[in-house]
Amino acid sequence: MKDLTFSTGCAIAQNIKDGKVSPDEAHSFFKERIKKLDPQLKSFVEIYPDPLKEEGASALAGAPIAIKDNICIKGKRISCASKILSSHISVYDATVIGRLKRAGLQIIGTTNMDEFAFGSSTENSCYGTTKNPWDFSRVPGGSSGGSAAAVAARLVPFALGSDTGGSIRQPASFCGVVGFKPTYGRVSRYGLVAFGSSLDQIGPITTNFSDCAHLLNIICGHDSKDSTSTPKDVVDFTQALKDEAKNVKIGIPKEYFAQGLNQEVKKALDSVIEVFKDKGAKITEISLPHTEYAVATYYIVASSEASSNLQRFDGIRYGLRAAGTNLKDVYMNTRGEGFGDEAKRRIFLGTYSLSSGYYEAYYVQALKVRRLIKEDFDKAFNKVDVILTPTSPTPAFKIGEKATDPLSMYLSDVYTISANLAGVPAVSFPCGFSKDNLPIGAQLIGKEFDESTLIRLGYSFQNVTDFHKKIPAL
Amino acid sequence: MIDRKTVEHVALLARIQIGEDQKDYLGTQLSKILEYIDKLKKLDVKKVEPMRGLHVDQNVFRKDQPCQCLDTDRILNNAPSKKENYFKVPKVIE
Amino acid sequence: MNKYDIVIGLEVHVQLKTDSKIFCSCSTQFEAPPNTNICPVCCGYPGVLPVFNQKALDLGVRVGLALNCQMNEKIYFERKNYFYPDLPKNYQISQYKMPLGENGKLQLPGGKKIGIKRVHLEEDAGKLIHSINHSLVDLNRTGIPLLEIVSEPDIESAQEAFDYLTQLKLILQYIGASECEMEKGLLRCDANISLKPKQAKELGVKVELKNMNSFRGVRDALSYEAKRQEKALEENERIVQETRLWDEAEQISVSMRSKEEAHDYRYFPEPDLLDFKVSKDCIESQKDFVGELPLKKRKRFLESYGLSEKEVDIIISNLSIADFFEESCKEFNEPKKIANWILGPFLEQVNSLADKLNEVKITAPNFAKIVKLFCEGKLNNLTAKRVLSLALTTNRDIDEIIEKEGLVQVSSEDELGCFAKEVIKENPKPVGQYKEGKEQAIMFLVGQMMKKTKGKANPKIARQILEKILKESG
Repeated sequence: MKDLTFSTGCAIAQNIKDGKVSPDEAHSFFKERIKKLDPQLKSFVEIYPDPLKEEGASALAGAPIAIKDNICIKGKRISCASKILSSHISVYDATVIGRLKRAGLQIIGTTNMDEFAFGSSTENSCYGTTKNPWDFSRVPGGSSGGSAAAVAARLVPFALGSDTGGSIRQPASFCGVVGFKPTYGRVSRYGLVAFGSSLDQIGPITTNFSDCAHLLNIICGHDSKDSTSTPKDVVDFTQALKDEAKNVKIGIPKEYFAQGLNQEVKKALDSVIEVFKDKGAKITEISLPHTEYAVATYYIVASSEASSNLQRFDGIRYGLRAAGTNLKDVYMNTRGEGFGDEAKRRIFLGTYSLSSGYYEAYYVQALKVRRLIKEDFDKAFNKVDVILTPTSPTPAFKIGEKATDPLSMYLSDVYTISANLAGVPAVSFPCGFSKDNLPIGAQLIGKEFDESTLIRLGYSFQNVTDFHKKIPAL
Repeated sequence: MIDRKTVEHVALLARIQIGEDQKDYLGTQLSKILEYIDKLKKLDVKKVEPMRGLHVDQNVFRKDQPCQCLDTDRILNNAPSKKENYFKVPKVIE
Repeated sequence: MNKYDIVIGLEVHVQLKTDSKIFCSCSTQFEAPPNTNICPVCCGYPGVLPVFNQKALDLGVRVGLALNCQMNEKIYFERKNYFYPDLPKNYQISQYKMPLGENGKLQLPGGKKIGIKRVHLEEDAGKLIHSINHSLVDLNRTGIPLLEIVSEPDIESAQEAFDYLTQLKLILQYIGASECEMEKGLLRCDANISLKPKQAKELGVKVELKNMNSFRGVRDALSYEAKRQEKALEENERIVQETRLWDEAEQISVSMRSKEEAHDYRYFPEPDLLDFKVSKDCIESQKDFVGELPLKKRKRFLESYGLSEKEVDIIISNLSIADFFEESCKEFNEPKKIANWILGPFLEQVNSLADKLNEVKITAPNFAKIVKLFCEGKLNNLTAKRVLSLALTTNRDIDEIIEKEGLVQVSSEDELGCFAKEVIKENPKPVGQYKEGKEQAIMFLVGQMMKKTKGKANPKIARQILEKILKESG
């Protein structure tokens, strides 16, 4: 059988189109690879015996894809890596799943994550921790850690993740792959189990920008089932696959390069700046003055929305129901047993900040600061076309390192959170390796609905570098 | 800041059972997080409008057209406890 | 009740007359088998999102306009968070800070105006059926659009509350916003009542009354509660702020006992829905539906048709009857006679129909024709009613009915003379009585004439002929 390990999704689809590989062969190849490697990696939650596929045409038709386990697939189990949903079967397809099916992709299974996407390490999963394919003692990042690890290990050419505060980009950076969070409203959230409704976006995790652009073409677009989905026309993102960075104004926010940034990460970023300079881009220092408030703002907004979103998990209509002598006990026991520690912390934080007496001080205050953060970006984008930052202050950390200190875990999202608060698109792509051979990610943040510029710059960068071609030794 | 009593109050609001041995621990963790979050209070935002969401200025409607629901059986099959065509719950005391 | 003022405020929930639910496409059909009008959205499945039904907004605006509310240009929804098995998401999408309309008023027939504090849109909850050991949940009703109409505490007696509800129901029915049938649960009413010593500025302690199943129930509960509170005040007892349930059978209110926790609904803006602009176009188009409201119609009817208050009140108590009356008058300008026939035979026959007015097919012109034929003596009381009953649910042609059923009135003296002679011959006793001066004996003979002619005799002429023959025969 043809070795597809190094093939991109586009290449696999092309091979299928040209009759060099059959869809079944493509599926078997990755299924075998998963069987062999995933027992250690633990990136998958479920591998379907037969892939889900429908007749469909697109540049990616026939290519296998994996889905984060918080996106509904009709007739399949969805767990969000939580005990509380464990045996729940989706009765409908998320809008993105319908789009993938119509584009002819093969859905091969679901990937691990932090419970309900609460976390930055995939340690908060009822299925156990996914390992970083570059170093099994380290986390893959999170919450879309399963998707990022699986793609990095080439167990699947690409996967979907979801990003509420960096959950696509941070694991992409830890695993050395491309993780793209589109503009809020670009991709329908219908069928994505909600965490922070005003922040969540589904996005692709791929090894390269060409696959990324093709996947975005498939999943983006208006959906009448999601009121927050934008009616704006979607451009053909593959038009942006050009090595062209001349005169692009790139802003470097000084706040993202201040204390706390790992020196190796800083060095990698410096080299990214050099690459873009060589290509004729204009580099400017900018300021996003409210950056230091982003984490605090995010944890109030996201947790408040989450506390309400997760109230539906009560053991009445679906999912786990714990025993109890009366209704209140059934609720309390079901949710006490069903939710993990981090989910409980977030629900507590959110419930508290919405509760009487604290609403103004926490929730409303956070919404106000959110506006200031958004305005920082509006001002910056008057001057520059894109913003370049590290994705994470450090490369992947050790499993267990931050597990007992939730605040330090939260702070590891410091560079990714603002893009969600402002609703703007952002992407992480591999830009170097640490001396321990851990991938380092760079982040590009773009203007609202200007995904194309991010794709163009990313493509340009990958055209002259080969970080994205390196794969972990497994 | 988040004492045992507050933990118990929030636990009831959120309907989450917390073990006796976990209450102080959770309270301490939340206090630490809130202490960090309190930095927001330093900012003067009196004149700032709270930002409810992104691009809020669209009127998105559905037409009033009913459609036949085909998921009834599947939805009832997912229920942890049911009787005939109802979801069954412990007695609700009014 | 001389020493105290009664202060009452009413909170009314009405189901708006839409075909589909407020945030999903499930049918709103009443009395469907349990859990058949449900879908992932109204069952609060993971990943679903609400999309707002335009008709619900239109009807809400219509009600707001009919109640003279100030309509907010921009509205948004909020989540009201609480756990209850009839509420699948464990939050209700409702309105809080920015309701649809505020500061309205409703005028009672007596002229007094009751303030409307606010009207707002929300989703209905499901139904619980209680048995000894458990409760059963039916989610058919979940998500049906509700309009909450909150009055100012301007109502000063139980009777006034009754009048307010009657008037409100009439308005809502007139404008086609709701069927308002309380027995079907399409309209529900809770009341707040407090007493304060006359001249006192401060309001007394408020008691909330629930569980009233009819307007009469509301009136009875309020009367009872006013007396109970007065007695308590007279005996220097403290009135507790609480919720009391009306016990219809016992005709008493019973304390619900203060719940173990105070409610903290943690309202916050619904992030899954955007703001809604209530456009000038929307308001203008809904104004057209408001039309002439009941009180105005009442005044006009009293002024222009020469009817009694009682007659007008019955006619305007139903818009289709009022319209039917006016249309009939256009065909046959004898309002008093039309009114008599509507309030008499017409409503009598309608009330014996299973589906009441819904089954009526007769048009106003045809109805007017029957009344006209009666007034012209071409149909008698009996035959006119017979024609009406044959046309009521069929709208058959009146002439055709008369022709086919042989109901043409017999007025010819020759024909009637023969019958009269027979009757006189066959009934010597009444004839004798008449001749002795008992005038009313003639009625018996007329009756016999009617019998002989199968009801077709013109009773007036029949009597004249009888009198003439009897006189002649001395």
